[in-house]
Amino acid sequence: MGENKQEWDRLLYIIPFLLVVPYLYLTNENSTDYWWLIIASPFIFFFIIAIVGQIWNKHNFWVNNLKEGGVLGLGALSLSLSTSIWMICDYLSDHGHVETGEPLSWLSFDVLTYGDDSWSIATSGFSGIGFGIYLDSLSIMLLFVATFLCFLICWFAIGYMTTDSINDNSNHRFFAEFVLFSMGMFGMVLADNFLWLFIFWEIMGLCSYLLIGFYYWKPSAAYAAKKAFLTTRVGDVFLMIGLLMLYDIYGSLDFAVVFDHPDTGVGGVAVDSAELQTALLMLFIGAVGKSAQFPLHVWLPDAMEGPTPVSALIHAATMVNAGLYLVARMVPFVDIHHHGVAGMEELGLIVAWIGGITAFMAAAIAFVQNDIKKVLAYSTMSQLAYIFTGLGATLWLFNSGKHHAGALVFGGSLFHLFNHAMAKGMLFMASGSVIHEVHHAHDHLHHHGDDDHDFDPQDMRNMGGLASKLPVTATAMMFGSMSIIGIPLIGGFWSKEVIIAKTWYAYFHGAEELIGPALLLLATAGMTGFYMSRMWFMTFAGEPKNQLVDHVHETTPWIKTPLVILSIITAIGGFGLALYGMVDWLSGEENHLSIHKATFLKQVIYELDHAFLPDDLKLRYVGWTTIFLSFIIGPVMAARIYGGALKEGEKATPVIHWLTSLSGKFGSQNVDEIANSQLADALQNRLYFDDLYEGILARTIIPFSNFTAWFDRTVIDGVIKQIESNSVLGSVQIRKVTTGSARDYILMAAVGALSIFALIWGVN
Amino acid sequence: MITSDPLTFITISPIALGLALLIIPNIAPPSMADYIRKISRSLSMSLALAIFAITTMLFLGQIGNTDWLNITQGTYVFENEPVILLESIGVRWTVGADALSFPMIWLTAMLIPISMLVEWDAKKGHIFHPLILIMEGALLGVFVVLDLFVFYVFWELTLIPMFFLILIWGGNDRRYASMKFFIYTFTASVLMLIGILVMYFNTNDPNLAGTLTGHHFDLVSMTMQSSGDGLIASNGLRHFVWILLLVGFATKMPSVPVHTWLPDAHVQAPTAGSMLLAGVMLKMGAYGFIRIAVTIFPESTIIFSSLLIILGMASLVYGAIVCMGQTNLKRMVAYSSVSHMGLIFLGIATMQPLGIAGALFMMFAHGIISPLLFAVAGAFKHHYHTLEIGSMRGIAHHSPWLAGHMMLGWMASLGLPLLAGFVAEVAVMIAFWMTFGWLVLLPALTLIITAVYYLTSMQRTIFEGGDPHVGILPESLHGEEPRDITWHENTGMLILGALTIIFGIMPFIFWDMMSEWSTDFMIETLISAMNSQGVKP
Repeated sequence: MGENKQEWDRLLYIIPFLLVVPYLYLTNENSTDYWWLIIASPFIFFFIIAIVGQIWNKHNFWVNNLKEGGVLGLGALSLSLSTSIWMICDYLSDHGHVETGEPLSWLSFDVLTYGDDSWSIATSGFSGIGFGIYLDSLSIMLLFVATFLCFLICWFAIGYMTTDSINDNSNHRFFAEFVLFSMGMFGMVLADNFLWLFIFWEIMGLCSYLLIGFYYWKPSAAYAAKKAFLTTRVGDVFLMIGLLMLYDIYGSLDFAVVFDHPDTGVGGVAVDSAELQTALLMLFIGAVGKSAQFPLHVWLPDAMEGPTPVSALIHAATMVNAGLYLVARMVPFVDIHHHGVAGMEELGLIVAWIGGITAFMAAAIAFVQNDIKKVLAYSTMSQLAYIFTGLGATLWLFNSGKHHAGALVFGGSLFHLFNHAMAKGMLFMASGSVIHEVHHAHDHLHHHGDDDHDFDPQDMRNMGGLASKLPVTATAMMFGSMSIIGIPLIGGFWSKEVIIAKTWYAYFHGAEELIGPALLLLATAGMTGFYMSRMWFMTFAGEPKNQLVDHVHETTPWIKTPLVILSIITAIGGFGLALYGMVDWLSGEENHLSIHKATFLKQVIYELDHAFLPDDLKLRYVGWTTIFLSFIIGPVMAARIYGGALKEGEKATPVIHWLTSLSGKFGSQNVDEIANSQLADALQNRLYFDDLYEGILARTIIPFSNFTAWFDRTVIDGVIKQIESNSVLGSVQIRKVTTGSARDYILMAAVGALSIFALIWGVN
Repeated sequence: MITSDPLTFITISPIALGLALLIIPNIAPPSMADYIRKISRSLSMSLALAIFAITTMLFLGQIGNTDWLNITQGTYVFENEPVILLESIGVRWTVGADALSFPMIWLTAMLIPISMLVEWDAKKGHIFHPLILIMEGALLGVFVVLDLFVFYVFWELTLIPMFFLILIWGGNDRRYASMKFFIYTFTASVLMLIGILVMYFNTNDPNLAGTLTGHHFDLVSMTMQSSGDGLIASNGLRHFVWILLLVGFATKMPSVPVHTWLPDAHVQAPTAGSMLLAGVMLKMGAYGFIRIAVTIFPESTIIFSSLLIILGMASLVYGAIVCMGQTNLKRMVAYSSVSHMGLIFLGIATMQPLGIAGALFMMFAHGIISPLLFAVAGAFKHHYHTLEIGSMRGIAHHSPWLAGHMMLGWMASLGLPLLAGFVAEVAVMIAFWMTFGWLVLLPALTLIITAVYYLTSMQRTIFEGGDPHVGILPESLHGEEPRDITWHENTGMLILGALTIIFGIMPFIFWDMMSEWSTDFMIETLISAMNSQGVKP
């Protein structure tokens, strides 16, 4: 790579961090004894980077060698990554039988219970809050996603942030908050009880808030940060109520205790399904807020005000998965094959409906967005909603006794989480690369000072034809989009297919209410094909729409490496892991990842057969409809409107070149009439949800609080003042007894004191 | 004396030194007076630090080697040989600490040096710092004495230094605020005094009794008497006394509707005054309520528990809503204290050991967080000369340290996990759900409202402002560029911030003893009352 060699020397600083795990391994230590390294390392470096950065702000070594803390952050994250890879390897080689040690005691307390007509302190059943780790395939998979992506995106961010003059020596703030966020994500994945899950969940919320508001001087960023925090806070409060209910039911919040026998509550009583379902719905509201689902979705598009690495990490690849993780943790409650509680089918249906509505709505809004990051934001919402629908179907299938199908869609949903995280993290980084280079080209063209502030480097209407200028980025974005669309054999195809098929399966087998989500998902598959292709064509294909495209170059160091790594994973990872039985492993049906058929080739044929020619004829139609909509209809429509060959003489890699010229062959269609319609207008305005919420708040809470402030000042305090001024009047009267003689005063005081004493004595 | 009777030492020595530093310069020859004025600040600080060291050693066991987890309710550690003060009416000097009072003692000893540090450059420092020292003695006295007469004396004594702090170093409206503060809380304390006197005339221990009246003020004996036959025979009178005590303590806490002295006092008070007022003085109300009203009259507490819920809920929800309507930073923070103190009543009303432990931890956590909030607000006043929210924007550029402290304090106050306030909130909420079920929606709603007003105020101060090099600065600066906070302000806030984080991650430092004590408190006091009153879940 032609990147500056001096830049690479910075990587030497992270070598000490990388040596820790090999040293521990060679001294025969046990990986699960060192899980705390994963959390402690970023947590400690949060303080170091924040404080040293504030004091050492403009120091040469700090700025140039440590990249304003970025290299330290990368080191801390590399330690987390290597420790978690060590743990994951141990977990996989032991087939999931790992000892995680006793949780530490954190809060211990007693509970008063009522029985036999009297109150007493409970001697058993209720336990305090401990802190330990809980490992299963779900947390292992998310742990890998989190540590791996945090590391890569931190790498990317070093290039992205430190070459941006606007950041003005405040990147230590960025990197400190970045590693604190990582700590939150790692902790949430590892935590072994619901309260610590919630604690780390909130830490992530804080970092999301701080990082969205990184450009604090921009009013729009400040507003977006507040909006994100408050919207998720609404969900979090309900999540907390859910925790209270769960504690009341089970007397503990530990996964190990609760999942052991979810049908038996504290004291051995049978758990009431209605009560448990309410508790789980409360948790689900929290998940809806965090994962930006309808109706708490309004914060995510605005969150794109943050720097692009933040969007990649928090608002696409990791934090927004927290809600999915929480819903996935609900599965043991409904699994009636393993002591789950029967009679909670509605929970699955509600989850699936919320998912279906969000998937469709977000995809529709993504049609009209011109900001490259906003398209990706809506795409994130839509894809997360896919997973929610899959998890909803899982909950329903498990609760109605269809264990096998439930396990399949459970694994498929989690697999989609994995594929989506990899692809979307990369897509955001690629979009960051585009924005960064376009911005630099713009600065280069206009020099500093006299540039027009109206120029928006994120607007795709300023781009076009970038495929030849940014070959790595264009390829990465192509693979990412293909994975999200579900182009056969690439990444997300393997998981999306399972989700759609099994949602329909649930519909065919008794869940009539699921027809809505099932149809919405099918439609969304085609819409995804359209808007993702539209984004790619608008950015990379056709003739440049702005003269500055000629000045765009892929030169910033640190940016390309993560894109290459993730492109490879996205392109072949989905198929590869599908071959190794990722779906069954994630759902807990299998306890190791391996090839099940005799030879590799047989496995390949088996998987392809399963994906394209399932035994169930109805599902075969569903599958082929999905492929037809997402692979043919969506991209072709997009190509007809936005496609176009590159300018004569522009060079690009063969595949990209072929793709762009192919897109040009579909002809061009004028869409002005549709673009100016009322529907497009409504979509532009995000279906007016933001306006609605703001209107309600502005008309109710704000006047009410102003009224209350006035009430407190005038009425409550006013009464006191009234008493006071009356007593002043009274004292004027009383003043008549003030004779001015000390003897009288002493007499009065004595009489008064004596009468008080006598009064109290007499009362007794 | 320090090892044999540490509690007496930490109470009397600051008052003695404080008074000496105030009086001697007025009677000594001029040259010596000047010298004393010069060193008075450092002397005060040294003694405050020494007291902090002593209390920390008490906690760690270097003095007395106490097992803090096994102090049952009704027993005290570091008790002294009682000294008879007024033989005729039975007043004795007797001190002791337990898991209820010790966190408050440590908190006071910790906050005094920090509030001195934050106002290190106060005008007339030779009066200011001795006054704070007297304040320390008075506050510690409230928490350590076990004789209600002396308790009342210290209780009123705290008003005097605070009155002067507001009157001399306060804002423009200081005269009104200090008078209001004094009269308001004094009136409430007199009602409390009447309650204490009624209790006094019902005591019957001949060993402790005064020679003239035949009664005594000893709290330990009163508690024992109340768990036996009951301190006051008549039900009606007992409830009446409980109500009198409640009025006195609720005003101090303060609880809606007797809270309006607090915003005025806070807005006018100097930074150190606000820090101590919010950090320790409000806790006196909660401490006294648990120590006297709940302990001695558990039946009345259970009968009136719905009153506690109403008061607590009103403070919590109403306080938070009023916060949203405030435009003055310090006023907003003051009302947030009202809101948070509501949780203490709620925690007690749950009648769960967890809820009471949560209330105790709330007292402690709020004692760390609210001084940080007021230190931030004070620094605003100091460097921007205004407290209007929104008159300055983008202060993260001009005052990055101040912005950082503000962010931490605000987040801690809105209950962010891993910061001290969260533990208290979650403990009270768990207990609350167990007792009251869906009524939890009101406190939950308050969590959202709290986030709204804190985030909005940050959006309009730390954030925004357009181009960071231009920004929006208040007119009160007259075009000057504001500076970041001074080193002593910064150090004080850093310590408070670090404590907020430490007690958020490791709440068990004090939580364990509070939790053990609460369980024992329930067993000794409330459970039998609940059973006899026929309380049903």
